[in-house]
Amino acid sequence: MTTSSPPSTAGSSGPIERQQRGALRLAALLAAGIGVLAWLGRSSDPAAKPLPAGPLTLGAAIAFTGNANLYGQDQRMGLALAERWAQQTGAPARPVRLQLEDGASDEPSAIAAFNLLIRQGVIALIGPTLSQQAFAADPIAQRQGVPVVAPSNTAKGIPEIGHFISRVSAQSSVIAPLSIEEALRRDPSIRRVAVFYAQDDAYSTAEVAIFQKALAARGLNPITVQRTQLADNDFQTPITSALQLKPQLVVLSVQAVAGGNLIRQLRELGYRGQIVVGNGLNTPNIYPICQRWCDGILIAQAYSPELNTPINRRFQQLFGQAHGDRPPPQITAQAFAAYQVLFEAIQRLQRKGGLTGVTLGQARANLMSELLSGTYATPLGPIGFSPEGEVRQDRFYVAEVRMAPGGRDGRFALVRELQLQENQP
Amino acid sequence: MIDNGLLVQMLMGALLGLSVYLPLAAGQLSLATPAFYAVGGTLAALLSTRWSALGATANGGFPVPSLLLEMALGGVLAGLLALLVGRLVLRLQGIYLAIATIALVEIVRVAILNLPFTGGAVGIFAIPQPFDTAAGYLLPALALLALAGWLCQRLELMPLGRAMAAIRHDELAASCMGLDTTQVKLTAFVLSAMLAGSTGALAAHFLNTWNARQGSFDTSITTLAFVVLGGSRTWLGPVVGGLLLTALPELLRPVGDVRLVLFGLVILLGPVLAPQGLVTPALLERLGGWSLRSGASRKTENAQP
Amino acid sequence: MIETLLQLLLNGAASGGVYALVALGYTLVFSVLGVINFAQGALFSVGGYLTFLLMGGKIGVNGALPGWGLPGGLPFWLALLVAAAGSGLVGLLVERVAFAPLRRRNAEPLLALITSLGAGVVVVNLLQLLMGAEGYAFPHGTDALGGLPGALMIAGARIRTIQLLLLLTSAGAVLALSLWLERSKGGRALRAVAEDATTAQLLGINSEAMVRLAFFLSGALAGLGGGLIGVSVSLPGPYFGIGYGLKGLAVLVLGGLGSVPGAIAGGLLMGLAEALVPSAASGWRDALAFAILFAVLLLRPSGLLGRRTVEKV
Repeated sequence: MTTSSPPSTAGSSGPIERQQRGALRLAALLAAGIGVLAWLGRSSDPAAKPLPAGPLTLGAAIAFTGNANLYGQDQRMGLALAERWAQQTGAPARPVRLQLEDGASDEPSAIAAFNLLIRQGVIALIGPTLSQQAFAADPIAQRQGVPVVAPSNTAKGIPEIGHFISRVSAQSSVIAPLSIEEALRRDPSIRRVAVFYAQDDAYSTAEVAIFQKALAARGLNPITVQRTQLADNDFQTPITSALQLKPQLVVLSVQAVAGGNLIRQLRELGYRGQIVVGNGLNTPNIYPICQRWCDGILIAQAYSPELNTPINRRFQQLFGQAHGDRPPPQITAQAFAAYQVLFEAIQRLQRKGGLTGVTLGQARANLMSELLSGTYATPLGPIGFSPEGEVRQDRFYVAEVRMAPGGRDGRFALVRELQLQENQP
Repeated sequence: MIDNGLLVQMLMGALLGLSVYLPLAAGQLSLATPAFYAVGGTLAALLSTRWSALGATANGGFPVPSLLLEMALGGVLAGLLALLVGRLVLRLQGIYLAIATIALVEIVRVAILNLPFTGGAVGIFAIPQPFDTAAGYLLPALALLALAGWLCQRLELMPLGRAMAAIRHDELAASCMGLDTTQVKLTAFVLSAMLAGSTGALAAHFLNTWNARQGSFDTSITTLAFVVLGGSRTWLGPVVGGLLLTALPELLRPVGDVRLVLFGLVILLGPVLAPQGLVTPALLERLGGWSLRSGASRKTENAQP
Repeated sequence: MIETLLQLLLNGAASGGVYALVALGYTLVFSVLGVINFAQGALFSVGGYLTFLLMGGKIGVNGALPGWGLPGGLPFWLALLVAAAGSGLVGLLVERVAFAPLRRRNAEPLLALITSLGAGVVVVNLLQLLMGAEGYAFPHGTDALGGLPGALMIAGARIRTIQLLLLLTSAGAVLALSLWLERSKGGRALRAVAEDATTAQLLGINSEAMVRLAFFLSGALAGLGGGLIGVSVSLPGPYFGIGYGLKGLAVLVLGGLGSVPGAIAGGLLMGLAEALVPSAASGWRDALAFAILFAVLLLRPSGLLGRRTVEKV
């Protein structure tokens, strides 16, 4: 103890006082540190600087960690394939490089990844993976005037965030009713429909509303609507109660793995009728889950692996080279398309001279108008954008899953291709 | 490296750390902070998007006084909830209290997800902005942190703070000495909730959107990690812990896919290497003992055991 | 109507059995150390993935070694047991890294909550790096279970075979563990340490060895649960164990911390209660577990079957 020192000196008071003084000093130190960090990190958006010559950088913030990595990893494949595709399409007018960042699965991380990429001077952004993250991060890009192309956000209200926000992922409202039509065409006597959906999932809740509307339009009222949870994989209880009502058609809107389990358990518990599934199951990732039980389900698609166009064949070929012989998931095709539309818009803009003698900010704004004005032949089919940035995709597909005899592998056999006349945003 | 947006997130981390620290300073391991944070955030999201009297403009602007009002209301609502719940749960001790508060977090999360007016899974979006850039949020966040810090610093000299320390040291002895331990614990719990509620209201604007995912079990544990790694014996511990641990995953970006593995390792090894946390009372005492005038007096001090 | 009820009860009992496994894992560690091992959920995931790999499953395209798998493949039951043992070993490792150093320093038990959680974060993210985030289903599905039909009829109620096996296996494991704790020398030693470590030490019981045994068994129980759930509903990503870990925590407190029969009863009760929630209210189902817990804590803080003991955390 130091109580022996004279009481007048600063460093000699009791431990409590010294602690208090130490706390104040540390707090002052921290405050100073925060001040310095705030000064160093003040908005240094390079938008006002002239656009440097050389390759332009596209930033992508998608989920490499957390729950949404399930989608993020498929998107990463699509972006990597698009990069390879761009390199192989001859010498581009303006080379483009891709900067990937982990947008993780939560909102703060998506914001941090967007901020980071914007400060690095990217010309446009791809991402984030989840719609909830888009509602957090997109406003930041909008305020700073950075174009965003969302590869997988399907919630209502995304393009409405602002002029700079667009997406290539069609809303379920457009796609979902098509497969119901097909099921009823196959069996017009259907009267009893059971509906399953994940109640805590943004995508499913939106899609199931569309399914219900489509059913109502044909005079069908679901005999039961079973609500499940995103994390559920054991559906025996809801299936048991639904099957008691003897449905002739089951409509389900859940995410891929849960959907595979739901289908399998429906079949195991004795359901023999038709199954119509939502767009979330448009991925070969369900094959290993529901195996032979997948056979025969109907699905409406925004992307058909069987679409026979040059760009889709090229995409399939690249995918096959990288990941073996299996069909690419829709979400991979959509990520490819997100890169592709930006790449093509940049090339057009470069040729028009919209990227010479401008600041980065102007280049971003020019790119956004160029992006919205063009049409693009993507693996999804021909797409364009509404003035708000909503995707205009007029070709959709209905497929039936056909499993190979072993039940380990299968394909989405194209049943119908539909051309929509005018597509409301 | 650290932009203003991340700095705001770090400050909010420090605020949540303090919110976990307050009950702990009275010996109560409460993990309820995310529940109150979620309540404050939901309230602000609802008020600013639905109640036009607060003055949200058509182009997404929002008056700063309204933000401050929301932060106050968020704190009050969270405090009232804490008053209600605290009377029940603070009878529990140790790990029982911890788990009861985790239960509270889960119940609040599920309620926000299922209530008819909170936007379901998508949540509430297009929350109006009081500031044009992230830098604007620095001021209210710093002001709230300064207020909370000042309170904690004062607390150590006030009867309430001494009572909290006494309960933390030995609750039985404290109550034998005639302390109204229930009242003291409840006060700490309510203060903690108010801080979390106000932080939530600020976070709702900063994040542009709010949904049930914001306050979860994960947040419970991360905020506890702020306190444990920073040091649970002084109020500066959780502040330092919150600042550092919020920044860490972002600073680890260069390592790529293994960044969360490294983050986990830090949480795993931190308490092993520094069981007292980074900021200990001994450290503060040394810091406070440094004389600014000369090194001579320090030498004599060091000479003593 | 009776069939439906029976069906619901069997479903509930099957999930309840798994909850009981997880809760028992917590209980073992809690009874010897008085702390909660937050890495339990991660060990649950480990069990699922290990079972998958041991049965000859191949790593998917997003894993670290796409297409890689162990040569050959064990039959399901053997794979399950080996995987449980493997999870037990990971549990031991968690003890070495996250608990032992703190114990040696006599640190606050509170710290173990954080270190064990850190261990869980590391394990789950390593799993994700190794296996990717995609869902995995078991190589032969239910067909591996001796060609049993997908569902069985019991008194008019249709139940998936795998669910029944799940119930029987978890009941068997729980029973075996209880008997072992009750009757065997090792089990008695473990209980002695749980009662009073100092006295046990005086009686010549190596309490450090008992702590390790508790962690091994606890990890093995979690791994067993993970393998069973995996074969029932596939592996929906590395995070799938976390939810079970959290639910197990509620069950643990519901039954009474440190009480073996409490963990079993709590698990069954929780499973049944969840099965009886109507679909319209299924959104609130996850809150139910915690609402029950909340109520029990307030009315009977020591849990349904617990004794009033000294809390160490």
